Amino acid sequence: MPLMQISNLQRHYDMTSGVVKALDGINLEIEEGERIVLLGPSGSGKTTLLNCVAALDSPTAGEYLFAGKEVPKDKSEEMTTFRRENIGYVFQFFNLLQDLTVLENILLIQELSGEKNKERALELLKLVGLENEVDRFPAEISGGQQQRVAIARSLAKSPKLLLGDELTGNLDSKTSEMVMEVLVKACKSENITTIMVTHDEKLTNYATRVVRLDSGKIISDKKINE
Amino acid sequence: MSLLLTKRLARSLWRTKLRLSAVVFMVAVGVFAGISFGTYANAATNLYDEIYDGDDGVNLADIWIDNPSGLWNESTSEQICDSISSQWPETDYDLNSCESRLILDGVMFIADGDGEEKVIPAVWHGINDGMIDKVWMPTYSDLSSGRIAETSDEIVLDSHIAVDLGVEVGDGIDISSGNGKMEYEVVGIGFHPMHLYFATEGSTIPADSGTYATGYLTASGLERLGNISSGSSNMILIDVQGTPDYDLQSTSDVDENPELTRLVSDLSQLMSEIDESPVSVYDRSGVFSVELLRADAEGASKMYPYVTGMIAAIAGITIFLSLQRLIQSQAKEIAVLRTLGVPKKAIMPGYVIAPLVIGAIGSLVGALLGTYVGAPGMLSFYEEIIGLPIKSEPDFSLITQIVSIAMLIVLLAGLRPAWQASRLQPLKVFRGQHEVKVSSRKMQKITSKLPATVGLSIRSSLRKPVRVSFTFFAVGISMLLFGAMLFMMSSMEDSLLGGIKDKQSWDIQASTPLDGESAAIDWVEQNGGNYELMINFPIGLENDSREMVSFGLDKFSTVEEKTSMISVELLEGKIPEIGSNPTQVLVDEGTSKFLGWQAGDEVTIMVGNTAHTVEISGLTKGEISRTIYFHRAELSAITGVESTSILIQIPDGTSLDGLSDVTIGYSLKEDAINTFESLLEQQQQFVQSIQFLGIVIAIAVLFNTLLMNLAERDSELATLRVLGAPMSKLGTMMFWEHLAIGLIGGILGAVFAYFGTVLLIGSQVQWAFYFTIEPQFAATFTIVGIIVAISVALTPIGMWRIKKMDLVDKVKDFSQ
Repeated sequence: MPLMQISNLQRHYDMTSGVVKALDGINLEIEEGERIVLLGPSGSGKTTLLNCVAALDSPTAGEYLFAGKEVPKDKSEEMTTFRRENIGYVFQFFNLLQDLTVLENILLIQELSGEKNKERALELLKLVGLENEVDRFPAEISGGQQQRVAIARSLAKSPKLLLGDELTGNLDSKTSEMVMEVLVKACKSENITTIMVTHDEKLTNYATRVVRLDSGKIISDKKINE
Repeated sequence: MSLLLTKRLARSLWRTKLRLSAVVFMVAVGVFAGISFGTYANAATNLYDEIYDGDDGVNLADIWIDNPSGLWNESTSEQICDSISSQWPETDYDLNSCESRLILDGVMFIADGDGEEKVIPAVWHGINDGMIDKVWMPTYSDLSSGRIAETSDEIVLDSHIAVDLGVEVGDGIDISSGNGKMEYEVVGIGFHPMHLYFATEGSTIPADSGTYATGYLTASGLERLGNISSGSSNMILIDVQGTPDYDLQSTSDVDENPELTRLVSDLSQLMSEIDESPVSVYDRSGVFSVELLRADAEGASKMYPYVTGMIAAIAGITIFLSLQRLIQSQAKEIAVLRTLGVPKKAIMPGYVIAPLVIGAIGSLVGALLGTYVGAPGMLSFYEEIIGLPIKSEPDFSLITQIVSIAMLIVLLAGLRPAWQASRLQPLKVFRGQHEVKVSSRKMQKITSKLPATVGLSIRSSLRKPVRVSFTFFAVGISMLLFGAMLFMMSSMEDSLLGGIKDKQSWDIQASTPLDGESAAIDWVEQNGGNYELMINFPIGLENDSREMVSFGLDKFSTVEEKTSMISVELLEGKIPEIGSNPTQVLVDEGTSKFLGWQAGDEVTIMVGNTAHTVEISGLTKGEISRTIYFHRAELSAITGVESTSILIQIPDGTSLDGLSDVTIGYSLKEDAINTFESLLEQQQQFVQSIQFLGIVIAIAVLFNTLLMNLAERDSELATLRVLGAPMSKLGTMMFWEHLAIGLIGGILGAVFAYFGTVLLIGSQVQWAFYFTIEPQFAATFTIVGIIVAISVALTPIGMWRIKKMDLVDKVKDFSQ
């Protein structure tokens, strides 16, 4: 059974100028362990799709099954529970909590999920190569390091699906490569499925599948052999 | 200054309507309170000036010569004034007039609700010439009516008691003064300068309704009542040309008029040559009612700029913090404008104008409410407490003064944020460096062992130390408003009610005629009661115009022992030993503070014009007036007075029939307690209004800060929500955070309130009125509890804010 099944997913916005179809009939099946890169021009619907997949946003129509179960929509706390149990999220601007150290940023997510495990947090930091930075504050480490902390944080509660929205958009190319290598290594070792939204074609090098969107529709969907 | 930039700022401010209205509210409250208190202070000061020395006033005497130990007969009375006139000391002041006056204690008989006769203590004045210390009968008030007494069976009853008992002109009343009951016709209702503050002698508490009476008869009318020979007197009133200043008791290191002080001293010396009686000579500062009202008006005048300033300071702090937050949220816009070449001077004015506009709106609302609601309400409250007619007119100079204070504070509050806004560095803003602040390592270490959620709560709360400090400071001030009332009321209740309930065990205190106590003792013995004799006598100080009240007690005991009818609370030292040389006495804590007298000191006191050395064996606590305690026998030896009153304990249910026949007058302990309770009750509404104000301001301050904290953490909280943090966990995190802020704020608020109140009271206490604030667990706990409750109660607002957060919108900010 695929991890995710999306059928005829639509997300329409009623604007004064008329209805905007951000997603217009998306069909997608994703298997466990896939690393998908979502590409497309601005306004193509990449981020909207990612938001619907993350249960941050509720689709206007269509079906979205995750591990065979329908994903909740329009119910804030049920959607939050779904995210807590299944989704990891990495943002372009890292969004680490500046008042917490590297380690505490990870422990916080564990605590909020009710599964605090310091050993695993340290293990994840080792996995992303930051075992020597555990007690530093985000402002004391580089952008690349911060993004690796964000990756470790998103893996902390062992999600089934990791989502990244322009996660290298704020990094230079060398740092981007380093971060992506860490991400791939971590996801492989944890068998986590990944969907990354990006403008950067280079990220396809780390993907097992590349999906292109335009005007709210999938215009190509290619698997890449590793 | 660009109009568009200002318009943009106005729109940004409008978006924070809720916080904006909290700030406007606080400015309005500051102005409202200032105008209300200021009107009261000014009205009180003007009222007394008008009564004492106005065209329709009473022509208050400038110097009083009081004979507490007996009466002068007609020829002595005349001789004293003749001698004063002929031997008038060398002074800048010419003698205007000298008038003898007879003032006697007595009682008034009234019928209570059951038709039973009730006796209330009274003071009767026999006014002959009536050129000085006249009866005041203002025509503009319906609190007075009729005319002054002209024949020996007429009386003007004081308005306070007439209003309380519903006595009208034309009624007949029964009164006595140690010589049986007599009926007098009430021909007028008015006021007397010595009883404007309507309290029994020496009491700082206005008498409860129907428990005290004063009346103004002709001299012959009072002589008839007391069966005293014609022309007798016990008081000489002296009026000098003009209205000289006098040495204020509240300024012990400054003599406002050394010339008058010298005249008082010279007259005292002169009296010792004319007459043997131990007289007391004093100026206006020695008249209890005059001094207490002056001190009250002075206290109010001193206080209202502080009250306005304090509330305006809270508003200023809130404006300062809100503008800082606004600038932070607009940093990118400002940076863009600066990058596009907008000069600093174009950025700054808007942020200066904003607080001025907020201040102007708040001031307008406050001025209107203060003038038309607060001030009349305050005057009506004061009128009710003090029972005097007060004219109420809007005072535009006061309004201008208060609004100016408020506007100055809001202007100052806006300057720093405006300066910061104009100096934002675009590059730093674009890099986000202006927001990034490395957390304190020390704080991290302190909280490292705590769960990350708790650590985050603590660190986030303390992330902006200036904001937190200012918030706690503002909460502290608001709690000063609340706590001052709480601490004062609790301490006052302890001091006043506790003073009589716990320290005094008599049932009746009766004034006896000089050398006439044996009849009262017989009455007590016939009724199976106990008694102690007591002397109350004014005691002077060497080269000092201030006076103390002396108590000559038959027995001494401490509050722990309570073996005498009046016990003392010893602060230090020991009970005086009878027969010591020099005579041992106790003095109260206030006297010790004002005169620097300590236990063990030998000091000089004046009885009339004679100096006596006494040794202070200890200090007592809890007396509001300046007090000195003697063994009665020893006080009797230096005053020549055997006793002035008798303290009586009687079995429950004993009838008081016959007591008024053998005493000049008497008062019941029960009435004294009712008086205190009634005053405390009367003040409850006022006190609760101030307390409510303090709480509302604390809510506004905390609301503003916690909302800013939350707004600032929007992205953090949104991140946590996106990562799956449940509302319950975030709510719990916020709850602990608010609890911590509440606890710290509450404790600091309580400390602030306590020490602030102590300072406040310290600046207000005077010779006539000494009061201390005691730390009280219940009051402290209430303050902490209130702040914690306010803080924690804001948690649902925070949760609601997180709940309505548009995560899709937030995620856009995180990745674009």
